[in-house]
Amino acid sequence: MKSLRRDLSANPQAANVTSKVYVRSLKNGKVQKIVRELYLREDIPCSSKLCGQCPTIAPADANGNIAPFVLSDRPAGTTAFPRGHYLVPDTNALLNGMDLFEHTGAFYDVIVLQTVLEELKNRSLPLYNRLLALVKSDEKRFYLFFNEFRRETHVRRGPDESINDRNDRAVRLVASWYSSHLQQSIRKGKKEKAIPAIVVITDDKENLRKCKEENVTALSLSDYVSGLEGSDMLLDMISESKDARDSKETNRGELFYPEYYSMSKLKTGLGAGTLHQGVFNVSPYNYLEASVKTASFDKPLLILGRDNSNRAIAGDSVVVEVLPQDQWKSPSTKIMDEEAVTRNDNPETEETEAVVSERERKALQEEVKKAHGKTSEGKPQPTAKVVGVIKRGWRQYVGHVDSNSTGAQSSGRRQQNVFLLPMDKRIPKIRVRTRQAANIVGQRILVTIDAWDRDSRYPTGHFIRSLGELETKGAETEALLLEYDVQYKPFPKSVLDCLPSEGHDWKVPVSKEDKGWNGRKDLRDLLICSIDPPGCQDIDDALHARVLPNGNFEVGVHIADVSHFVKPNNPMDLEASIRGTTVYLVDKRIDMLPHLLGTDLCSLKPYVERYAFSVLWEMTPDAEIVSSNFTKSVIRSREAFSYEQAQLRIDDKSQNDELTQSMRTLLKFSKILRQKRMDAGALNLASPEVRIEADSDEVGDPLTDVKTKAMLDTNSLVEEFMLLANITVGTKVYESFSQTALLRRHATPPPQNFEELQNQLSKKRNMELDVSSSRALADSLDRCVDPKNPFFNTLVRILATRCMTSAEYFCAGAFAESEFRHYGLASPIYTHFTSPIRRYADLMVHRQLASAIGYEGEDGHAINEGVATRNKLEDICRNINVRHRNAQHAGRASIEYYVGQALKARGEKMAADGVDAGIEEEGYVMRVFENGVVIFVPRFGIEGVVRLEDFVLPGESGARSVAERRELVPHRTTDFDNEEYTLRVSEKGHPEAERSVTVELFQKVRVNISSVKEEGRGAGKRRVRILVTQA
Amino acid sequence: MPLDTSTTYPLTKLRLDGRRWNELRLLQAQISTNPASSGSSYLSMGNTSIMCSVHGPAEGRRGDGGSAGSGHAVVEVDVNVAGFAGVERKRRAGGSDRQSTRIATTLRSTFQSHLHTYLYPHSTISIHISVLSADGSLLAAAINACTLALVDAGIPMPGLLCGCTAGMSGSASTPRDPRHDELDPLLDLSLPEEQELPSLTVATTTVVPVGENNMDEDEETMKVSVLSMESKVHATYLETMLAVGIDGCSQIRELLADVIKGSRR
Repeated sequence: MKSLRRDLSANPQAANVTSKVYVRSLKNGKVQKIVRELYLREDIPCSSKLCGQCPTIAPADANGNIAPFVLSDRPAGTTAFPRGHYLVPDTNALLNGMDLFEHTGAFYDVIVLQTVLEELKNRSLPLYNRLLALVKSDEKRFYLFFNEFRRETHVRRGPDESINDRNDRAVRLVASWYSSHLQQSIRKGKKEKAIPAIVVITDDKENLRKCKEENVTALSLSDYVSGLEGSDMLLDMISESKDARDSKETNRGELFYPEYYSMSKLKTGLGAGTLHQGVFNVSPYNYLEASVKTASFDKPLLILGRDNSNRAIAGDSVVVEVLPQDQWKSPSTKIMDEEAVTRNDNPETEETEAVVSERERKALQEEVKKAHGKTSEGKPQPTAKVVGVIKRGWRQYVGHVDSNSTGAQSSGRRQQNVFLLPMDKRIPKIRVRTRQAANIVGQRILVTIDAWDRDSRYPTGHFIRSLGELETKGAETEALLLEYDVQYKPFPKSVLDCLPSEGHDWKVPVSKEDKGWNGRKDLRDLLICSIDPPGCQDIDDALHARVLPNGNFEVGVHIADVSHFVKPNNPMDLEASIRGTTVYLVDKRIDMLPHLLGTDLCSLKPYVERYAFSVLWEMTPDAEIVSSNFTKSVIRSREAFSYEQAQLRIDDKSQNDELTQSMRTLLKFSKILRQKRMDAGALNLASPEVRIEADSDEVGDPLTDVKTKAMLDTNSLVEEFMLLANITVGTKVYESFSQTALLRRHATPPPQNFEELQNQLSKKRNMELDVSSSRALADSLDRCVDPKNPFFNTLVRILATRCMTSAEYFCAGAFAESEFRHYGLASPIYTHFTSPIRRYADLMVHRQLASAIGYEGEDGHAINEGVATRNKLEDICRNINVRHRNAQHAGRASIEYYVGQALKARGEKMAADGVDAGIEEEGYVMRVFENGVVIFVPRFGIEGVVRLEDFVLPGESGARSVAERRELVPHRTTDFDNEEYTLRVSEKGHPEAERSVTVELFQKVRVNISSVKEEGRGAGKRRVRILVTQA
Repeated sequence: MPLDTSTTYPLTKLRLDGRRWNELRLLQAQISTNPASSGSSYLSMGNTSIMCSVHGPAEGRRGDGGSAGSGHAVVEVDVNVAGFAGVERKRRAGGSDRQSTRIATTLRSTFQSHLHTYLYPHSTISIHISVLSADGSLLAAAINACTLALVDAGIPMPGLLCGCTAGMSGSASTPRDPRHDELDPLLDLSLPEEQELPSLTVATTTVVPVGENNMDEDEETMKVSVLSMESKVHATYLETMLAVGIDGCSQIRELLADVIKGSRR
């Protein structure tokens, strides 16, 4: 038998084949050895525009294109490298300074090595993705050099060499290869002097030393940055490196927090059911109280105090261990604000501080007493402590520097520690090392958390950039968008390239032979109109109704045909799927789709022909649906009404044209449909929404722009038909795609969510809330009426809404059919179909429906994207659920900010007249704490915490300023009844009833609202202050 | 976590193992490796290596059904993937898994129609394939190994049957966008690529030119005799993938011809 050994001698190519061997450990503990071939080659270009050699050897891809060369022929230099330089960072440099590499002021012409990219992927996936994004963008000139495949730069790991050493060697080899390669191949005519230096950036001391030995130019990240302009700011952007932290740790052995359990211990514990995993969720009212919802228990576990939170930050995925029963406590009844409690901490010194400061400890003890004092109502809840973190949910945080934490001698360029107070109250202060403390005080700052070590009471982070002065419109808007992770950057060119080349001149093709008409019905003759909020530009939907010869009615809902313009998986589609939704702020709209589509080509504007996706029903005069039909169509809207205009037209008896008649029909039907829905048990929920009409007038009082949302009949007309269309489409899509239909569900809330509210209602008002079904809940909500307090019902509805889970998108295969139910709408199935311009889910549903009705598209190829793979769809659902929620929060925060600013403007005007009286309004008590209450002010849709000092007691002097009022705190005392939900505030030593204020839950109070500047705490920070003037 | 094709390929146009889109892996083969059989071969494409031996044509077993009497030889194929062939060592209880059954079925029907079986009525040609190491393009490699072994056994066939895989990088489940018409087909996929991307296996044959026609051999005479695809891809990409695969087949044909010629020398 012949030998089967690979004989490579005969084959000349074989010499270039080598292999890469590595081991991979699996989840089950096994180890796999993987062998991969490597084909070494000499045609990988250096991608420098200086090189005269590489362009001749650079190979073409399958389309005959040669990748353009990236590295500039005139790279930027620094004082140390006057001829310019190409940077070769190693993995550590990228790990510590990714923010720097993204900075637009420096770090151009960077050679990213395959070795480094791969190592980075193993170390940090987010950083890897950010690096890839840099490589993909043109402006930063990052070149991904596949050094492992180039024969000259390929490195084999030596027998005793660690992987790290091998990778470092690879980096050095590339650097020296690049220098010699450029020496040889530089284009003729260029002077020798023009050759840029190749600079290795590494934070590894050993590597730096070896670089010196091998004559490779190398600098540590901070050394390199020091040589740049504006180095102070740039230096702040380096993460505090591990080395520095390590050395610190050896210096002081003091550890504040217990160590996390080892991974294997966590796994065993989770497997055995003694430990529990969940997301760390901090209470918005008390920063020391958090809850973790775990799979094993119905109710979330409580986590009290810093010790037990053990360095977990809101959003982290943590593992908790239940504490012994004698440490169980009841949830706090106290409002605690980190800023207030730990105001005097010094960021520089930590020797003196304990994890739980004396003040915090005292506060906690009092609560334990409270919890133990009662047995019946405030039953102690199971508490737990964090013993491990599975995944950090850290992101970038927006905040401002606590001006108290900057040292007195902040003038010099000395590096110092400052505290950053994040906008999000649930995030602890972040300690940031900075050289520019004086400059960044009073600005909105973006930072990121690098680490939270056991020896540090607060997490450490580093500065990324400043958004601008506090309270300036630009900075605050950007802060909002960043905080809610809204993608607000302009659309990249690749996205804009996907738009129709005709631009605004695009028209529905005249000839019906045109392929655009394939599979479309001509509905241009129908009297279609749209009804939207005033000033609406992105018109998603339009309606019509007409009598059929048989006496029934044809009703149609026409939705903008966005899927015609947004083809699956092109850059525009991908961008939209990431954005997920359009975000509406008070004065700004962050579009999901480029302007051209959203407000023109897709928008169902009046008087022009537009592509639409139509749902047509045949209905009996009693609004019973006979049949429903779906088709792509071409429509011409006759008129775009605002809700008010439509209402006026319908009410105007003199108008009797066909369009008005059809609107009256629609209105009549919508009322029947609504009644049917209500009978089925749909909930009429309320949210504290106000609308801002900012564009009305500049000079007037901005507060008049704040309007509570009025509900006209026409609002509900549109709403009813949209609901009907969504339900009809949902049913159809599910019929066709039982696994992959994109639907929306609203889970039935577990009854225990309502316990607290039920309890409050029965105690305070002797009312019952029946939560056995949505019908029962709807009925019992209707009964919750207080004749003396018309707003009471709305208040209860708001509170009830908060007890429910939020609705979510899902893909049909993920749940059993019985769980598809939309609780709030009392519909067995639901989806979103009617707003494809502003929601990605709707766009997906459009594609699914098109596929379900066999629409073949322009070119005859049915598009079945989105119905094929469930995995991808589930990813999309996850993303759009998050985006949807963020968009809502961002919108609310924007309104809140606007109201604050309006109050401020008013206050300033008043102050000019000599009085700062604030504004008198009605408020309602939403929650009662031991040291304050939460008040909801319907006029502005805001809710705010009222602390002790902000109760105006009878016979009080009426001092207004924040500082003056704060002086009152030590003199105040409270009498809190947890079972009756009442709080009596009085002055110490004056318990007489006439000198105290008693507030109780649901009570209507007179409040005084003003915007005040915080003094003493974070300078320049504003908040809306609510003073209770009269109970 | 190693890098993957879909993220890095668009940036560098280099595949995971350093090849360009139209490059085959290193193909090495020998024939007559097993003197105990009528014909045998050993073939490796990259890290995929296959041993193949052919027995027969031999007298057909009795009771072999109707086909034995039809005047054609019957082709039997037996595929065995060694337990150590993959990354994880598997201990198989003798039986064959789905993958090897599918390869065996494809090979059987391929060669049944490819070989001049009418020359051997009432007989059986049995082919044994042992996969020693599997690193993608298994079916293609098996076809190539079979062809070599059958040539070695001296069983007449119209031409060399050569197989190759072709895949498509990028998002191949959606139709081509005419405005971004950049296709990234890949030739001869390795295992990681095969797991990640849609791919097809194609095998072509040529009629060996004889006599006068010897000189004007051209593409026209090439015939696709196997086309197998187990992944989903949008129809608009198929043509490109097929073209790339067929091109690969003719590259492989030259390599195999060299192997055969070399061994005669």
